[in-house]
Parts: sequence; structure tokens; C-alpha cells
Amino acid sequence: MKFLKKDNFHRDAFIGIFVWFFLIIFYHIFPHPGIHDIIQKVFILGLFAMSLNILIGYLGLIAFGHAAFFAAGAYTLGLFLQSNIVTNLGGFSIPMAIILAIMISSALATFIGIICIRLKDIYFSFLTLAFQMLIYSIILALVDITGGDQGLMGGFPKPPFLGIDLGKPFDFYAFTIFISIITIVMLRQLIESPFGYGLRMIRDNSERPASLGFNNQKHKLIAFIIAGSIAGLAGSLQALLDVGAYPEWAFWAKSAEPLFMILLGGMHSFLGPLMGALIFEVLNDFVTANTRYYGLVLGLVILCFVLGLRKGLLDWILIKYYRK
Amino acid sequence: MLKIDKVSKSFGGIIATDNVSMEIQPNSINALIGPNGAGKTTLFNLITGKIDIDEGQIFIENNNITNLKETDITHLGIARAFQITNIFPTLSVQDSIKVALLAKQYGLNNMWNRFKAHSINNEAESIAKLSGLTKSYNTISSALSHGDQKLLDIALALALKPKVLLLDEPTAGMGPEERWKMIDRIQKLWKKTKMTVLFIEHDMDIVFDIAQNIYVLQQGAIIAEGTPKEIKSNKKVIKAYLGGGKK
Repeated sequence: MKFLKKDNFHRDAFIGIFVWFFLIIFYHIFPHPGIHDIIQKVFILGLFAMSLNILIGYLGLIAFGHAAFFAAGAYTLGLFLQSNIVTNLGGFSIPMAIILAIMISSALATFIGIICIRLKDIYFSFLTLAFQMLIYSIILALVDITGGDQGLMGGFPKPPFLGIDLGKPFDFYAFTIFISIITIVMLRQLIESPFGYGLRMIRDNSERPASLGFNNQKHKLIAFIIAGSIAGLAGSLQALLDVGAYPEWAFWAKSAEPLFMILLGGMHSFLGPLMGALIFEVLNDFVTANTRYYGLVLGLVILCFVLGLRKGLLDWILIKYYRK
Repeated sequence: MLKIDKVSKSFGGIIATDNVSMEIQPNSINALIGPNGAGKTTLFNLITGKIDIDEGQIFIENNNITNLKETDITHLGIARAFQITNIFPTLSVQDSIKVALLAKQYGLNNMWNRFKAHSINNEAESIAKLSGLTKSYNTISSALSHGDQKLLDIALALALKPKVLLLDEPTAGMGPEERWKMIDRIQKLWKKTKMTVLFIEHDMDIVFDIAQNIYVLQQGAIIAEGTPKEIKSNKKVIKAYLGGGKK
């Protein structure tokens, strides 16, 4: 197939659809719920990590508060589906809830972004962290709405739409992966667009663009909003999976997870964070099944990657075998 | 083309630019010389809006650009290359030039089309050719030689299609041979594009060889200006800068 060699949208879309079909066939070949669960989570967390990598890998801004948007997406979806609107909307409530989750998290990202992108380096990182802890405190404080430290309890309905019933494991599996793949293909397009090269330019040299007549701040803000809204989408999918939302998702430790994934998978290759999510999830699953010392094992693995490979796994593979 | 009118700037009591006036003619090539610390780069920073002016005004054509934003001044036609090479280390020469082209002329807001498929290849290639970077067109910028990095810095400025090009020590840190190559390149470039060039240079042989007009800066003030011939025989300049030994 000749067109597969060309780096363009058609190729990416083709690969995306192919992977989706492959994973659906995979579902039927290996009817083990544990494996399906891991794959779903890899895509959800992968989206989360890839959204953060827009900032870290392509823009060079290390954001410590990315989980704020993840939680915003999750709580928006949960609260929307628990409200009375669902009875009126019926089948369209889930797509509506997801769209709303993206909108609310992007609005939040706009607000936080306008303030944070003025700063650089560690100051930027810590300000994003401060905002995240603010969101965390708000979630804990608004017990009547969010359920406080118990999380969003009581579950919510998942009315079927377009013949998709997310209450069924297979439908959920296919839907989540489909949404994730579409987002990833679109993100790829964004990263390879002139806009994406503008991000690389700012990462490489934040002084020079001004002398090229180019406005850094606007570009950074848009990237921040896009990253926040994709994190919100990931959060809403996670809430759909767990039928609830928890304040830990807005805690700083949740922001560290995508950072670990990026470190494990690699920040300089597009799919690096997704691979990182796979390593992270597989570790999580197998290690917690066998020992209580999950943190210790994860720490050792990250040490091996950082000191041994000196880069994420996918970065390492690509450099070793493709970009000689 | 570029008119600087009684511009002054001081940093906490230290006068960096002292009542400087210059009037640079269109399509001319001009040198700015002066000892270390004379305020040459500061003057460039004032022209390009990197730092604000205390007093005086600057015009390009008929536009007053005094204390405009750096990006706005760039859009009015002033581009600069830097003394300390200022490029994008992880981008290739090709991508750097394209990014610069897009940054000003086409915008980098397009989020859907592929950057690599953008129809500016010819333009980017011609800029690389003009700057003598055809051979290293696909090289990653950080892997270029020092001289080529300097050329890339200039190429980025050229991508803006400026009316006035400011070059801050284009030959800094180069050996004699590389130096003349660079100067040759700049001269060719100027003849081809016919833009107005103002460059800072330390090597007097180079200055006298290619500049039509020379400005001498000392302690922030212009102490002389004129053709190479006039400057060579100017007593003030000889005393201050060229050394008393020469006649």
C-alpha cells in the first residue's frame, strides 16, 4: 500500500481505523474482562498523558496541575448525568455530557491559562499546581454538590444512544477506544500543522519569535486550552467508566501520573505518552496483583528508564532503529 | 528609510545611548562601528523595540515606530540577526526558514493542514539559496557549523522580507577565511535584494571594503559619520578608535 508511506492525514486516519478494528477483533478473541479493562484505561490515561505532552514535549512548559482539567471533565459529566436534564434529553444525554465536559474544562483552561502562561519555567509549573489545589479544595468544600471527600456517589444512568449502550462492556470498550483514536488522529494533525511547528519554535527559543513578528502568548494560550480540553475529555471517559468522580482525580498526585507516563514512553515521539500509559497500566495491574509495594516498583522502573535509556521507551526505539 | 532622531537611553544613570541621530538612505549598506561597550547592540535593541526608548523618536519610511512592540516593528519591515546566534536548535534548516516565513506572512494559526505539505517550499528554498544554505537544507540546526548557524540566523531575518536588515556582528567568532566568505555572502545578498542594510562589525578592513556609509559610536554617542574615505581621515575617529599610529 503506497499511500501508507506518506505522512498525511489519510494515512493516520487509516491506521487509526485499522487499530480500532484490530482491538475489536482482539476483544472477541480474548474474552478476558481484565485485559479489556487495561486497554480501555490505557487509552483514557493515554489521552490524558498526550494532552499534557502538548505542553511538555512540544511547548516546553512543564505543567504540574493538569489533573485539574481531568477532574473538571469528570465532575461535569457526572453532575450532568445525575441532574434532571437526562430524563428530558434521553438518548442524547451522554454525547451532550461529553461535549459539556470538554467545554467546561476548556473554559477552566482558558481562565487558568491566561494567568499562568505569563510565567516561565518553575513559576509556571507551581502556579498551575496552585490552581489545581484550589480546584481540589473547592471539590472537597462543596459537599452538597460534589459529595466532598466521598466523591460523586450514587452513580448515574447511561441511556443508550444511536444503538450504543454504554452499560454493556463491549459497547463501552468500542466507544471509548473510538473516541480516543479520533482524538489522537486529530491531535496528530494539530501537532504536524503550522500551529504545531509554532509550538516547537517557542520551545526551542522563546526569545526569537518576537523578532519574527510572532505573538508567543496567544499561541501558548491556545495550546494550553487544547491540552486542558483533551484532559477534560479523558476525565469524562474515566467518569463514565467508573460511574462516579473522585476528589483524588484533582489531587496533585494525579497530575504526576501523566508525567510518569511521558517519562516512561518518551516525550519526543508523538505516541510516546500512549506507550507510557501502557507500561504504567500493565505495571499497575501486575504489580498490585502480586505485591503491596507498587510505588517501590514503579520508582525502580522509572529509575531504570531515566538512568538506563535516558529517554522514554518509544523515543529510544525510534532513535535506535529509525532515525540513525 | 530609517531615521533615528535624537534618541537617548540610560540604564540606572549609565548613559547607553546619548542623543543619537542617523538617517539611513534606502538601498544603502551601512556600518556601525565603535569600541566594546559603545552601545551598538543597545542601539539595535532600541530600533527593534526590544527595549524602550527614553527620549527621541525612530521612523521607518514615514511610520513612527518609537516604543512600538517588537512584533509590530517587525511587521513594519525591520528584521535583525543576532550577535549571539539565535536559532531553533531542534528544527532543520528547512523547517526553521518555513516557520519564519509562516510566522510573519501566512500565520501559524492553521491547525489542520500539514506543515510539511505547505506550499512555501519554493520560497524557503530560494531563501536558503540566497543565504548559502542549500547544502545543509535538511540538517538539524544544532548540527550546523558556527558559520552556517550565523547564516541561518540571517536567513530567518530574510524570511521576513524586511525593508531594513540589521546585522549584529555577522562575522563574530569566525576565522579570517570564513569571515570573508560571510562578507561576500552579505554583499551579494544586498546587491540582489536591494534592501537597506545596517551592520555592526569590528574588522576595519571589512567595514572599509563594503560599507557605503559608516557611523562611529563612542560611549553611546555618534562621534563621526561619513564615507569610508572620510572616516579614515577623521581625526576624532583615529584618536578614539583606529589608534594614533596610522596616518
